[in-house]
Amino acid sequence: MKDQVNIGQAGTLESSDVLVFVRFSPQQKGIKIDLESPSEKCFGKMILKSIEDVLNDLGIWNIYIKVHDRGALDCTIRARVETAVKRAQKNKGEQEE
Amino acid sequence: MDIRVINIHNNSEKERISQFLINQNLKYGNDIEYTIALFEEKQIIGTGSISGKVLKCIAVDESKQREGIAAKIVSRLVKKQFENGRTKNFLFTSPDKIDQFTGLGFRLLSVAEPIYALLEMGMDDIDQYLHVLKKYQKTDSIAKIISTLIINANPFTLGHQFLVKKASTESDIVYLFVVREDKSLFPFETRFSLIEEGCRSFDNVKVIDGGDYIISSATFPTYFTRESEKEIVSGQATLDANIFINYIAPTLKINRRYVGNEPYCGTTSIYNQVLKKVFPSAGIEIKEVPRFELDGKAVSASSVRELIKNLKINETQKLLPSSTYRFLISKEANPIIRKIIASNSRH
Repeated sequence: MKDQVNIGQAGTLESSDVLVFVRFSPQQKGIKIDLESPSEKCFGKMILKSIEDVLNDLGIWNIYIKVHDRGALDCTIRARVETAVKRAQKNKGEQEE
Repeated sequence: MDIRVINIHNNSEKERISQFLINQNLKYGNDIEYTIALFEEKQIIGTGSISGKVLKCIAVDESKQREGIAAKIVSRLVKKQFENGRTKNFLFTSPDKIDQFTGLGFRLLSVAEPIYALLEMGMDDIDQYLHVLKKYQKTDSIAKIISTLIINANPFTLGHQFLVKKASTESDIVYLFVVREDKSLFPFETRFSLIEEGCRSFDNVKVIDGGDYIISSATFPTYFTRESEKEIVSGQATLDANIFINYIAPTLKINRRYVGNEPYCGTTSIYNQVLKKVFPSAGIEIKEVPRFELDGKAVSASSVRELIKNLKINETQKLLPSSTYRFLISKEANPIIRKIIASNSRH
């Protein structure tokens, strides 16, 4: 079970929302976040900080996250990340790809 | 406004989608696996479809654009893809619609004017593939001729080996990409390891997984289907060639590509024509090598499969490197041989 890949997803690409993919895999060492956002230049760092906070709260140290932001509020981003992570954790036991 | 899944086995529903798409200059292909449509007062105002790892046939009624309908459709398709374990999506559209999708966070990969554009979103994007490629890079500063070959090798024959040997002798470094797509009778892992074995004696050749970006069902879907209109094939071949020119070649500093001349397969010969047209202006020389012949006949993987199909495995020996032949007569090959006998696929 330890070698398994688990994926989760939450959110949409609709305006003011954010789409989040997460993946736990044995190859993933550390936290890797890819952010795609129209406001990356202004808010990129803040968004990354929020995501890292959520991961820290959840006690997650190894994960790959891809975020497609469509101008979401901070609270939306946090909620979507948390949901995606929890869905991936729930998917444990189901083989993916 | 409601979103509905279209029953793609129902001809009248399909016809409605098809009509809607025609008005937007899009064609509803027969490779579609899943379609949704948005309705307003029973009128279709938008639609989108899935074919494998590709989102396509996405269109919104002209009077309804800018209302976030494309975002709704794409989000729904992405969610459906995720249910099938996909965290990465390609999107096929026409060049005039690119902005609509880059606005949603898609990244433009390649354009083949005037018909096609290919975009992507999600995990494991092209940057990550290029990152993996860099690990193969030989840091040889005096290397002058850095070549590439892309082969499916279904399976690896003396013809392929002849081509690789020629490239190896004439170049400083050769990057040999193996088509990843598992649509051939020989599975990717088998094709890959037979190529590795057959190329072991060429020490400047690196065998690399072609991934999603080199002749894949995203960049070049008709490569894997039996036939298609010339315009479609050459459009997709251009998409594929542009990705190679803009991403793959610069990463590995490739300046020459070898292709086998193609007497039999229409798709491949169109592909070769496209490469000859677009590569030289991008600083990549194309070397078209005549087929390796035996007893006056070109040695090809399809002729090997034909012999297997007719239960003449012994006769394949003279067409194959010993490593491939050894595999064919081993127990491991049995399931593949059974598949070949039962099939009539081009691949």
